[in-house]
Amino acid sequence: MPDDKKKIKVVVFDLDETLWNGTLLEGDTLTLKSGIADVLRELDRRGILLSVASLNDRARAWEQICAFGLDEYFLAPQIGWNPKSEMIAAIARDLNLGLDTFAFLDDQAVQREEVRFSHPEVRVFDAGEYRDILDLPDFQPRFVTEDSARRREMYREDLARRAEEKTFEGGNEAFLRTLDMRLSVAPVQEGDLERVEELTVRTNQLNSTGRTYDYDELRRLIHDDGHVFLIASLEDRFGSYGKIGLTLCEKTEGALCIRLLLMSCRVMTRGIGSAILVYLTRLAARMGLALRADFQETPRNRIMYITYKLMGFEEIERDGDFCVLEYRGGAKTFPDYLAVDAPGEEKP
Amino acid sequence: MTEEKILDFFREKKKADGLTYDTDLFKGGYIDSLFALEMVVYLESTFGIKLRNADISEENFRTIHSIAAVVDRAVKEAAAGEKPARKGLFRR
Repeated sequence: MPDDKKKIKVVVFDLDETLWNGTLLEGDTLTLKSGIADVLRELDRRGILLSVASLNDRARAWEQICAFGLDEYFLAPQIGWNPKSEMIAAIARDLNLGLDTFAFLDDQAVQREEVRFSHPEVRVFDAGEYRDILDLPDFQPRFVTEDSARRREMYREDLARRAEEKTFEGGNEAFLRTLDMRLSVAPVQEGDLERVEELTVRTNQLNSTGRTYDYDELRRLIHDDGHVFLIASLEDRFGSYGKIGLTLCEKTEGALCIRLLLMSCRVMTRGIGSAILVYLTRLAARMGLALRADFQETPRNRIMYITYKLMGFEEIERDGDFCVLEYRGGAKTFPDYLAVDAPGEEKP
Repeated sequence: MTEEKILDFFREKKKADGLTYDTDLFKGGYIDSLFALEMVVYLESTFGIKLRNADISEENFRTIHSIAAVVDRAVKEAAAGEKPARKGLFRR
């Protein structure tokens, strides 16, 4: 959907005269903007992340946010004396989200212009609009699922994880081993369908075919003996990543065909794509079938093609941007840093 | 030379000092999806090549030694002006 403006995933607030009335460093008596706590809560419920970009004394400003009881809502806050454009870029880096999913509210026109100038893709609002943004379509995610309600918590866990990864002395594999990761793969249930739809719409990079299915179609596939329809979730010692992977395979003459394989970007560095593929190679072998995969090239999913190829898949057919890959590697086992709980596999 | 550069890339990115030219990169868990993409982009930009779909395979990327062999061949082909025969991987 290149022409569609992306949905907002992060809203960044200024503090003085935006989140609260008054200026902290001038010793004003500060009061929260009327109703703004409810706005924060509502955005949070929708799975939209919240952050702060403020020119202020870091310790004192954070103390004030805590005093208002709002500290739990703000992730990766930037409080200091850098230009706001840099602060917002830093938040985007910390949260690993694109600036084109950011909104920014500030009472000062000069700050709004500075951000607009450096990041034209950020949607910038005057502080006074804080109530109106709730009604804008960009602020209304298509889905509000269990995973969206937990999104803040998941990002917070992820920040902790990445802070530890940054300071970890050993190699990548050694770090993965410390995470105590548990991947569970299970047949899709009716209760998963909203999340399934959300994943198929939200996932662009780690998506093999980009196919989307409507709700009724998905529901039918759950009960269809001719298909294997699986959803994967991941946990580690920091917490749960939620439901992060999905695959739909069709049983055909002599082969199990992967029609759709996708994974949330949050697990891109965890070897989960390969682990799910390992599972499918083992499943197909048990069924006495070859394993094939449809692949539809898009400008953004080259990473998925490379994942297949490096796993031992080879192209057997091609028609323009579409190809069929077949697994030609030997029997595979799961990486030893990952415990896998899946149908047909021994319990970890 | 090619091998050394690639080994340095891996050591720097993966903080893996024990890595050698013949370490099995898949067994070692060195290649996740994101790293695989980074690596392909690194190889293409550092060596001025374009890897073909067929160049990207489990066997070719099993060790630094085998990656270097693919790169060297691609460099040689590029120098020999065999470009028309190379169908590049799709990219953004």
